[in-house]
Amino acid sequence: MKTLHVLVFSAVAATSAAAEDKRQLGAHEHGVGQLDIAFEGQQVAMEFHAPGADIVGFEYAPESAEDRAKVDDAVATLARPMNLFVLPAAAGCSVVQATAGLEAEADHEDGHGHDEHGHDDHGHDDHGHEDHADETTHTEFHAEYLLTCADTSAVDTITFAYFETFPNALEVEVQVISDAGATSFEVERDAPTLDLRGLF
Amino acid sequence: MILRLAFASLSARALTVGMTILAIALSVALFLGVEKIRTGAKASFADTISGTDLIVGARSGSVQLLLYSVFRIGNATNNMTWESYQDLAARPEVDWIVPISLGDSHRQFRVMGTTTAFFERYKYRSGQSLSVAGGAIMDDLFDAVIGADVAATLGYEVGAPIVVAHGLASFTEHKDQPFRVSGILEKTGTPVDRTVIVSLEAIEAIHVDWRNGAQIPGQSTSADAIRQMTLEPQAVTAALIGTQSRLQVFGLQRAINEYPQEPLLAILPGVALQELWQIVSIAETALIGVSGMVVVTALIGMMATIFSSLNERRREMAIFRAMGARPRAVLGLLVLEAVLMAAIGAALGLALLYAGLFIGQPLIDSAFGLWLPIEPPTLREVWVLLGVVTAGAIVSMVPAYRAYRMSLADGMMVRT
Repeated sequence: MKTLHVLVFSAVAATSAAAEDKRQLGAHEHGVGQLDIAFEGQQVAMEFHAPGADIVGFEYAPESAEDRAKVDDAVATLARPMNLFVLPAAAGCSVVQATAGLEAEADHEDGHGHDEHGHDDHGHDDHGHEDHADETTHTEFHAEYLLTCADTSAVDTITFAYFETFPNALEVEVQVISDAGATSFEVERDAPTLDLRGLF
Repeated sequence: MILRLAFASLSARALTVGMTILAIALSVALFLGVEKIRTGAKASFADTISGTDLIVGARSGSVQLLLYSVFRIGNATNNMTWESYQDLAARPEVDWIVPISLGDSHRQFRVMGTTTAFFERYKYRSGQSLSVAGGAIMDDLFDAVIGADVAATLGYEVGAPIVVAHGLASFTEHKDQPFRVSGILEKTGTPVDRTVIVSLEAIEAIHVDWRNGAQIPGQSTSADAIRQMTLEPQAVTAALIGTQSRLQVFGLQRAINEYPQEPLLAILPGVALQELWQIVSIAETALIGVSGMVVVTALIGMMATIFSSLNERRREMAIFRAMGARPRAVLGLLVLEAVLMAAIGAALGLALLYAGLFIGQPLIDSAFGLWLPIEPPTLREVWVLLGVVTAGAIVSMVPAYRAYRMSLADGMMVRT
């Protein structure tokens, strides 16, 4: 999966040689979300990113009323972190602030660098792009949470109910910063709990 | 009674038994040694940096950035411009930032340009700071602080002059600007021990008369003239960053990774280190597998010697039986002998390991910068030793069962 990120960058570099302006495109991998958690004192900050495909199942700009309703629903769901990433009750956590939204990572002029799907047979890179502007747009849901916990050291596990809510999501890459330093984990659909013992 | 018999029987065949025990001891020492080096290397890497929230450098791979900025392994793909560095330093989230400039060397040691903040901010082994063993932290432009290994290997003392070479494996030396050792650091067990630290301005200063990698002929600016110049670096190799609050680390990391003016990469040292372990883990598993197989081989060797000893002990076994020993006693005797061999082998292996550690510790430290702590055996190691003894007992069951079934008839029959 790591090589995919490299692919994206090299694809961008190859096509931007003619242009003067700076271009970069972040990595985007369907099925994989990203959750960053920082513990400090009684505060827990979380930042969550997930591809639109995982959350609503499509990545074009919402067109129909149905699409729009789906996106609104998803944003509302993502704004309730305690239902998605369940912290132990013993920690006594409550949400101070939660924001969620949809952001598009579009690159209309070029529409390149989309081999990260692994859908090479679609031939995204080869055909003309102007008429496919929507198809080559990637959307990402983005959420930020701030929690306070009576006892952060009681946060020894996090249960990812997220996978039940969003059936397209397969994996979340988690980075955690605590007093013990920074570490990373991978939480997958098959084993949707994150073991944080040993971090406090 | 049986125990006495077992001991007597083993000592009667001292040579073969001794060889078997030696094989087990060596294999156990190898297995435990591999384990020690593995955990020692991990701990030593993990202890090298602490207290730094982010490391920033040119956009490459996170493992690569970690290796060249902290461990001085490999080289940077690109430098980071001084403008970007100052941009970052001015960000509100940044509590402190320490630049690192690499690229020159002194003998086999790397020269690192940095600010004096490095000595306050760089922490190793869960929060320990660097301390000066002799002399003082650099004060003058041409002062250098050297690590403990640099001082020990080259025999430098405070006040000694040193000349910095251009590049890493080059014969062009910056002879016109000699440095002076102003301080020697305490040993840390980190790559700092093998580093010559000078100020960021000094890195610029030694290149004052240099253009395009070569000295301009006939031009030599005196040290005093250089002291008068304002030396602003063009670029740094990497920077260590501490944030105001841990909650801002991810936001700052994202901002740096998406910094539009220059492709930069910010990494969390702990996460990058984990990625490194993932890469190394295959080799680690292979190493453990091989050393495990060596233990198995030694145990099978023991089984073979017991088997062959059965032949020469046919009479002995028959006499035991004739004197009224039950078949079970014969079986017990053989298993007990095997357990004794395995236990002595395991104990000897442990002794060999510690002897090896005592002798090898300073050598490994000076050669690889890897400090292997000498500690009492861990629970895991105790389990390994018990496992070897148990495996020895199980392995000996095969020949023992044979003796159990055949001891009387076999030994009494006259064979030609």
